[in-house]
Amino acid sequence: MSILRNTTIRHKLTLIIMFTCITALVMASSAFIVWEQITFRNSMARNLSIQAAMTADNCKAALAFEDVADAEETLKALRAESSIIFGCIYTADEKVFAKYSRDKTVTLPQPQKDGHHFHNNSLTVFRSINLDGEKIGTLCLRSDLHLLSVMLKSSAGIITIVLLFVSLMAYLMSSGLKKIISGPLLKLADTTKIISQKKDYSLRVEKKSEDEIGTLIDAFNQMLGQIQQHDAALLNANKQLTSEVAERKKAEATLEEVNKDLETTVRELSRSNRELQDFAHITAHDLKAPLRAIGTLAEWLAESYADKFDAEGKEQISLLVGRSQRMSKLIDGILRYSEVARTGRKAEKVDLNTLVTEIIRGIDLPDNIEIIIKNRLPTVEYEQTRMTQVFQNLLTNAVKYMDKPEGHIEINFTEHDGFWKFSIADNGPGIEEKYYGKIFKIFQTLSPRDEVESTGIGLPLVKKIIENYGGEIWVESKVGIGSIFFFTLPFSTDALKNGNRLLISAQAKT
Amino acid sequence: MKRKTPSLIILTLFFFVAAMPSPARADSQPTPEYQVKAAFLYNFVKFVQWPEEKPADNNDIITIAVIGNHKFGNAFESVKGKKVRDKKIIVKFFSRFHDTNDKNDLKKCHLLFICPSEKQHLNDIIEIAGQANILTVADMNGFIQNGGIIQFIMQDKKVRFQINLSAARRAKLKIRSQLLRLAKKVVEEKSPKKD
Repeated sequence: MSILRNTTIRHKLTLIIMFTCITALVMASSAFIVWEQITFRNSMARNLSIQAAMTADNCKAALAFEDVADAEETLKALRAESSIIFGCIYTADEKVFAKYSRDKTVTLPQPQKDGHHFHNNSLTVFRSINLDGEKIGTLCLRSDLHLLSVMLKSSAGIITIVLLFVSLMAYLMSSGLKKIISGPLLKLADTTKIISQKKDYSLRVEKKSEDEIGTLIDAFNQMLGQIQQHDAALLNANKQLTSEVAERKKAEATLEEVNKDLETTVRELSRSNRELQDFAHITAHDLKAPLRAIGTLAEWLAESYADKFDAEGKEQISLLVGRSQRMSKLIDGILRYSEVARTGRKAEKVDLNTLVTEIIRGIDLPDNIEIIIKNRLPTVEYEQTRMTQVFQNLLTNAVKYMDKPEGHIEINFTEHDGFWKFSIADNGPGIEEKYYGKIFKIFQTLSPRDEVESTGIGLPLVKKIIENYGGEIWVESKVGIGSIFFFTLPFSTDALKNGNRLLISAQAKT
Repeated sequence: MKRKTPSLIILTLFFFVAAMPSPARADSQPTPEYQVKAAFLYNFVKFVQWPEEKPADNNDIITIAVIGNHKFGNAFESVKGKKVRDKKIIVKFFSRFHDTNDKNDLKKCHLLFICPSEKQHLNDIIEIAGQANILTVADMNGFIQNGGIIQFIMQDKKVRFQINLSAARRAKLKIRSQLLRLAKKVVEEKSPKKD
């Protein structure tokens, strides 16, 4: 079957036509031969019966008068019919009266009722011999079926010739007919090939008939139309895409340029920042020595010339000492602040529980304020000094600004994916929302200097440390009720080292 | 029908008379030769056609008669009651010709077998038979030469017959060709008499 599958439609058509023709012909011929055989047998039987009737009539006198010689003479007439094997006359008491046989040896059957039988390639007819209504004997004739086989042979021969002729005709006609089907198909295939080679979708196949092939061609043409449309659309889209890509490339180039500029700016900025820090540090450091000298001198003046100064003088001197001390603290603060960026980050394992407990112990805590660590704090791997600065500043602030008769300060923390979130909540005065940003800026303090001793460096320092570690700090507050300072710290400082600060701050916000 | 009674009497008489002198009794076993001849006589009826003017008791019977001292014995037993052309076959035995008073009875038979004992009356019998359209059969030599119609002969120990076609024509009998074919000799007189 696979051979049949792979042959061309032309061959298939030829095969189908030939097969159909030959099958029909063979079936018709078979039916014809069968019919012919039946008819021929019937006619043979009829003919032999007629012959038997005639012979019986001819020999009834001989039988009546027991004239064997005459009967045999009559039977001899059967010789004219070469197919008759034998003829035999039986008397009424079933004895052989006379016989004729074509061949030398012959076995005679017992007489039977009138009728014919086909048996062993022979036809036997029995006929009773009646004389005036009285049965006086039986005639038996047997004929071979030679004629039948001759007839069948000649029929078969004719049928074979007809079969060959019809096959030839069918082949010739099919080769003409198949053009009707395979012609348009081949044309279609050729067009398809041309289209796929030239990519020319504007081509169309000419439709010549309204049959299935016509439908196929219609569908094909329709498909071509669609492809053409799609192709055009695709081309258009491609053009657009190309231009878009070009634009994007341009934009990317611009972005890269901007980025480069930005990098340069950042580099310059960080350099200038560093320089500024260095400058601040050096300046602060350099200012420290003369300030200490001024302070010492003022103290010395106050002590040594105490009796020489009047009350106003003493007042002024003590103001001088105080101011110089505040300045000293301010300079220390600036130094610390500038050191955050300067000093190398020596990370070590710090148990925050121990650290915070020690800080609390170090704070001169009034009796009306309590600090609670809500849950066990983690052990972090950061510079211990910085951690101390962070907690000390935040706790000190909370204690320092506490205005309630019973102060509660609560330290808490939660663990998130990649970072810790700490919170230090108090029930202090709270901060107005407009100051949320201001409090983290250096030298800013919300209360007058003389009311609460503050350098304005604490929270900016904390912010700087936290941000240096890749964390974030912010405040939530309600005036008169309290404030919560939140800050985050990544689990490790690696993220910072990778410079992925933005990402972490983004995570922290979520 | 009125004549039936005398004919029956004659028949009875005949049986009575014939029983005594006849060498072969009606109930005795015939020789095979006469058995065959009896069958032949019966078969002749089938191949012969009588004219319509043939005198007979009625049209429903065909009478086979034997005259003289015969040797048939009971050879006709098998023939009795048979029908030919829907006519019943009746077998009659006449005694000697000179004893037969009523020649009319003789005339009414269809086939007459003449025994050799009646040789001296042959011409008379043939004369009567010719007029009464009777098929005459005998096994005497020279029978057909003397105007008889069918004569039995023996050939190879088999019963055969010869036919005088002219005599048959004179008696206005039609003999079917099949029978003529079987005849060993068919005689036709060159100058047939016209009766």
